[in-house]
Amino acid sequence: MTRLTRVGAREKVTGAARYGADHTPEGVAYAMPVVATVGKGRITRLDTEAAAAVPGVLLILSHLDNLGIIPAGYIMADGYAFQSLQPLLDDRVAYRGQPIALVVADTLVAATQAAGLVRAEYETEPFAVELGADGAETVLQEEAIPLPFLADIVVGDAEAAFEGSQVRVDGTYESGPQHQVPMELIGSVVEWQEDTVVVHEGTQSVGALRGGLARQLGIDPDRVQVIAPYVGGAFGQKNALQPHLAPLAVAARRAGRPVKLVLPRAHTFHAASFRPVARHRVRLGADASGRLLAVIHEVDQQASRHDLLPATYTEITSRLYAVPNFRGRQRHVKTDAQTPGYMRAPFEHSAAFAMESAVDELCQAIGRDPVEFRLANDAEVDPVTGKPFSSRHLAECLRRGAELFGWAARTPEPPRDVDGTMIGWGVATGAYPSLTVPTLARLRADAGGRIVAEVGGHEIGQGITTVLTCAIADDLGIDPDAVTVVVGDTRAVPHHLTAGAWGTNSTLRAVHAALRELRAGLGAAAAGRVDVAAAVTASGRDEVVVEAVTQGPGQPPEMIDRMRAGLVALAGPEYPDYVSFSFVAHFAEVRIEPVTRRIRVPRVVSVVDCGRVASPVTAEAQVRGAVVWGIGAALRERSEVDPRYGGFLNTDMAEYVIPVNADIGRIDVAFVNEPDFVLNPMGVKNLGEVALVGVAAAIANAVHHATGRRVRRLPIMVEHVL
Amino acid sequence: MHPFAYTAPATLADALRALSAAGPGTKVLAGGTTLYDLMKLDIETPSSVVDVHALRELTGIDTGGPGELSFGAGALMADVAEDPVLLSDYPALAESLAKAASQQLRNMATVGGNLLQRTRCAYFRGGPAFPCNKRRPGSGCGAIGGLDRGHALLGGSDACIATYPGDWAVALLAFDAVVDVAGPRGERTIALADLHLEPGVSPDREHTLEWDELIVRIRVPATPTGRGSTYHKIRDRESYAFALAAAAAAVALDDRGGVADCRIALGGVATRPWRCRAAERELIGGVLDEHSARRAGEAAFAGARPGTYNAFRVELGIRTVAEALRIAGERAVR
Repeated sequence: MTRLTRVGAREKVTGAARYGADHTPEGVAYAMPVVATVGKGRITRLDTEAAAAVPGVLLILSHLDNLGIIPAGYIMADGYAFQSLQPLLDDRVAYRGQPIALVVADTLVAATQAAGLVRAEYETEPFAVELGADGAETVLQEEAIPLPFLADIVVGDAEAAFEGSQVRVDGTYESGPQHQVPMELIGSVVEWQEDTVVVHEGTQSVGALRGGLARQLGIDPDRVQVIAPYVGGAFGQKNALQPHLAPLAVAARRAGRPVKLVLPRAHTFHAASFRPVARHRVRLGADASGRLLAVIHEVDQQASRHDLLPATYTEITSRLYAVPNFRGRQRHVKTDAQTPGYMRAPFEHSAAFAMESAVDELCQAIGRDPVEFRLANDAEVDPVTGKPFSSRHLAECLRRGAELFGWAARTPEPPRDVDGTMIGWGVATGAYPSLTVPTLARLRADAGGRIVAEVGGHEIGQGITTVLTCAIADDLGIDPDAVTVVVGDTRAVPHHLTAGAWGTNSTLRAVHAALRELRAGLGAAAAGRVDVAAAVTASGRDEVVVEAVTQGPGQPPEMIDRMRAGLVALAGPEYPDYVSFSFVAHFAEVRIEPVTRRIRVPRVVSVVDCGRVASPVTAEAQVRGAVVWGIGAALRERSEVDPRYGGFLNTDMAEYVIPVNADIGRIDVAFVNEPDFVLNPMGVKNLGEVALVGVAAAIANAVHHATGRRVRRLPIMVEHVL
Repeated sequence: MHPFAYTAPATLADALRALSAAGPGTKVLAGGTTLYDLMKLDIETPSSVVDVHALRELTGIDTGGPGELSFGAGALMADVAEDPVLLSDYPALAESLAKAASQQLRNMATVGGNLLQRTRCAYFRGGPAFPCNKRRPGSGCGAIGGLDRGHALLGGSDACIATYPGDWAVALLAFDAVVDVAGPRGERTIALADLHLEPGVSPDREHTLEWDELIVRIRVPATPTGRGSTYHKIRDRESYAFALAAAAAAVALDDRGGVADCRIALGGVATRPWRCRAAERELIGGVLDEHSARRAGEAAFAGARPGTYNAFRVELGIRTVAEALRIAGERAVR
């Protein structure tokens, strides 16, 4: 296999890579939003006089104008935007930090100064920003969103089995809110070229921006181009159309010049989605021998007033073990915030923290080793549907991880270092659904032997360009340098959203199918090395162009139309003949200072079952990055909420504490690397999300081992172990 | 950000003239690591900025003399942090700089400017959405009764509990440093202990400098406690974070191992750099061990007034002092 370093690595480290907001067309003007300073209410007066007087100010857009746009709709309700609410259309303020005006000026300095001079007066209303707050409304998911995949998962009679169990655990666990905080700020450059609007923006979904902006402006989607060759980190924050885009397009049209907007870091905490608070009650029942008999998993998840983020926490907690009785219940608690959304392993990270902490408590209660317990309760078939797994090597992850970590040396009593440092070892597992989306791949082969692959996907740093380059070079037996992959560009092919770790599985499917077409088009054999230059020359054409569209097994063809329209069209993890998940086992060591109790994580071992590893270099990097995320989630990150004011308080990178290099120790990554040919002909499952699932639980379990303290709320901080 | 006049004088004398000519509302710009940040947040809105960062007269570092150490106000935090004399003979000073901010910020920030770094209180930095007596006198305090996990345990008032965020001034305070200040009325010397103000009823007043004065130099009297010193900083991550609790501790031992001299100052827990004379008295003339170190920590926090979420930092602070004393004691000369 071609072991390629990351495609684009040199461009990124030398600064040559051009991200969305790096685009600076001639005559560009600059925009700056003004945001609401109250938690909820109505704008009674908006004074823009002083702002308008700032030299260089071109436009001030607000609800006082008629912007001539309509909302783009919520991404999870046949729309395109991260939330249904489109600011600047009326006088309502739904949450603190909501944009209430947009200033456009000749320079960034003028736009910023003028934005600071816009004065608003409000009629305020009571608001609720926490789960338990007065006025926070709770609704049951299966009633509020009556879709089959969101119904409560019920297997057997979990209540009765729990009551009848000899050993029971009943715990409440909480995580969030958190923000994605990617390095690349949210930003966009919008330019009208005659009647076509061209958007440069770091996004995971050029198709949603295209479809959504067209809907908002009332124009044909063919008149919208979205270009995002690089995305400087997204992690779910950039998975949909953001509310700044349509007003920016209006501004560019009115100003008659391109307009650039880069949100200040503080704005990004309210301008896009975040990981909501999730409160889990987990009840586990087992017999004295350690056989898991019942799991009851109930979750309350924070929502906005205007949208419900479909929750799938129980999708994995019902599948980690061979449990005969399971009952899930997912509820939404409506709060006065922007709509929370997808942040890496959006439900699974939090669900695994709850479930795998509870399992650790159960192991302690019955005196079983946590690895041995998990091996003994591993599932052979899907406990929910009775279908087979496309592949499941969780036991192998546990065995390999235990060996690499040296788990056999673990004693129930934690060791102490000579200086009194408390040492703890913890384990946890995770799973993530293998989802598939409709994808189009077009391959162009030229007489110089070069291949250009235009694929519906996005390079969000996960390495999709490297994966596809590897796959094409390996299949045809050609030099990777002869392959150019084009992603994130609506001028090439239609794109589905890239998220949920479905990128590799979905794009490789399409590229694999397109390669079969290309071999036919080149008159080449079905396998083996291809002399591309000779074959194209022999065809008598300048280039040979082929296309393939693929979709998930059992997915109806109209899903391809949805993909072409920029809408979400997911298949899985339940497919007609099987269910499909990736699996992971994490082993963590913590060391806690004897006096001041700082918690450090000197080493983590993570073993992943993601099918065949499509690109070793980027796959390892992806897992390491996910473990860093897990350490951040376990010990560092939380968005602070003051219920008296609403919004979020720690809105910069000094105060929103993500890990630094000094926080990270050794991370050993291994892969089972067993191809899953049931899911697709390339044998790959997914990786980017599952790698995070369970890290926080492994660390929490290690903290418990070291200190005897069970911390059921993330992040675990020094005050919890003092 | 608001428009402002900008001058970059070529000499210190010109800078002082420019400062008084520009009038109140003028800010001195050195490394810019705090000023630019607060200007972008509209917290600082100077009408005029006098840029002194290029003044070579201010960048001297002299740690060779027998009587005192001297640091030009414009010396970079990164340079002073790596001074070999500090590293060997005054590790608390070097550590207080090395554990502050990030390398990138230390490469820009100056040791003079750092003394007057403003608080990180989110209600202060958050702008008009929040009341803040420091930012807008009389508007109230968002932190009292709010998210006060990082707020001051010592030196607060009913008007303000914002934590003084710096580290360097804390270590300097432990060593009885002084600052030389230049202005239109000539030069004067202020004990560092007299530079910062507790908030009281006017938290907008943070220091005793006049608006037309400029810190030109920091001097530290030589002391044998320097070698037996540390700046111990406990924070939410291992770099680039403000202290949950920090302690500068310095110890000199007599020839029988008793504590001949001792200095303790606290960072990250008070409204200003906080010297702990009572804690020092606990130790001087006695023996430094686990128990006396703990007692000193308890004495240091005897007057602590915790709020809603920061009470754990009293115990953490006591332990931080005890740890700092242990480390200092291991380094101490007899």
